Amino acid sequence: MMNGNLVIHNIFSEFQKSLDEEQELREVIRNICKEVDSISRKTTTVLQVIHYNEAGIAPACLQARELFEEANAGYAKLKDAVPSTKYYKYQDHWKFMTQRYCYLISLTIWLEKGIMATHETVAEVLVSAVEEKEGFHLDIEDYLVGLLNLCSELSRLAVNSVTRGDYNRPLQISKFVMELNAGFRLLNFKNDHLRKRFDALKYDVKKIEEVVYDLSIRGLLPKTETDGMAIES
Amino acid sequence: MLFCFHLISLGKYRNNRHRDNKHTLSSVARETAVSLPADSPILAMFKTAALKLNARQDRHERLVKLSRDITIESKRIIFLLHSAITKEACEKAVSEANERLQKLVKGPIKSIGLELENVPAYLHSNAVTAGFQEFIEAQTLCSLMERQSIITWREVQNDLTYEVEDIAKDESERTVVTMLTQNDYMLGLADLTGELMRRAINSISSGESEECFNCCQNVRELYTGFLGVTGCGRELVRKLGTTRRNVEKVEGAAYALRVRGGEAPGALLPAALLAAPEPWPEPALHHDDHDEGFY
Repeated sequence: MMNGNLVIHNIFSEFQKSLDEEQELREVIRNICKEVDSISRKTTTVLQVIHYNEAGIAPACLQARELFEEANAGYAKLKDAVPSTKYYKYQDHWKFMTQRYCYLISLTIWLEKGIMATHETVAEVLVSAVEEKEGFHLDIEDYLVGLLNLCSELSRLAVNSVTRGDYNRPLQISKFVMELNAGFRLLNFKNDHLRKRFDALKYDVKKIEEVVYDLSIRGLLPKTETDGMAIES
Repeated sequence: MLFCFHLISLGKYRNNRHRDNKHTLSSVARETAVSLPADSPILAMFKTAALKLNARQDRHERLVKLSRDITIESKRIIFLLHSAITKEACEKAVSEANERLQKLVKGPIKSIGLELENVPAYLHSNAVTAGFQEFIEAQTLCSLMERQSIITWREVQNDLTYEVEDIAKDESERTVVTMLTQNDYMLGLADLTGELMRRAINSISSGESEECFNCCQNVRELYTGFLGVTGCGRELVRKLGTTRRNVEKVEGAAYALRVRGGEAPGALLPAALLAAPEPWPEPALHHDDHDEGFY
């Protein structure tokens, strides 16, 4: 009986010890994440300028790039703190923040070059690792959620660029988002958060289509659509 | 509202225009869709992403299936251990249970290890936790009956270390470990109290009062241990309610055995015990109903 006591006692003290270690690690992770998250908020604010000031876009991108470097340093700290096999155990701490960064990075790259940032590119900017095997990496689902968030932001940008008198931008956005939409249709979703987020993409697409349509029936689209404009006027 | 306006204005324009007018909401969408190149880098990226996601989902499904196999066999092993009444039958049951547990270790549990060898195991911990918990329940019950002490997490984890031969290069062996988290082990241990409660009550009917008191003490100590733990996961906290009820039932059994043990024939005691009103409300957890219930 005494023997049994001791075994049970040891089981629990060992368990408590590992729980304590886990709590300590979580605290470290939380602190790093708080810091890195505040950089992401700052970047979001910086990039808001795109909705009302065309000239501000390029400088905003430059500033965002600098902030991404700060974020990368923060993620390097996370990488050091989290044991390489336990990425998914603690993932909840940085999941949303990472999704926001994916959105911010892909938005910046789109504004800079008009192209879609690949998983590899975003991972390079943020954590410098793509594959699961490499320990701390950029999870593919987080990257995809980031792209979906990008589409929402672009649908807003389509509306606002028309207000600003830029009738070219909505077409560019429409083409890009339609292509992403076609891409997302290639994926087999489980019934998870990614699926729910994807289901909301159609509203963004609809909004952008309506903007392009409004421009088109009023003959406001740049050159290629001139044949339609003759009737309109 | 806005959309209605579009439709109305669309109709108006239609009347004023030629029939071949192509500026409709859907035609704008169609044009954009048609203008997409079929082999754009964007689509190529999504094709790669689709492969990755599919591989992940397929792996998850395979793991869930393995986990279910482990659960079923573990439940049967537990049933086997309970069915033994006499001491000799117990020994026989324990050795058969050990054999079957080893089969699990060398079969589905090893498969899980191989499946997760090059993948982050925590990504799929949800898929396998149920099977592991049930396995721990069976394994700890068996060890307790065999050597009066509970097999520890480290011992279990050591059992789940395999030397695998490489088929390609038949000389090199590599080590594969199936990760069974300490948390899963503790969750299984919480379930063990239910089995011990059952065993305590069974042992009364077979007249082995010492075994009943033994089980009772073990349940108490496990419960004491859980009470002292701080900062554990949500699932474990949820299970503690059940553990508490198990303690009360087994203590009631021990009490009845002491007080009325001499008077009533053993077989009648369990029924009398369980007829006692439930002091703690049963939460509506299906798990408790079929797993811990003793009616």
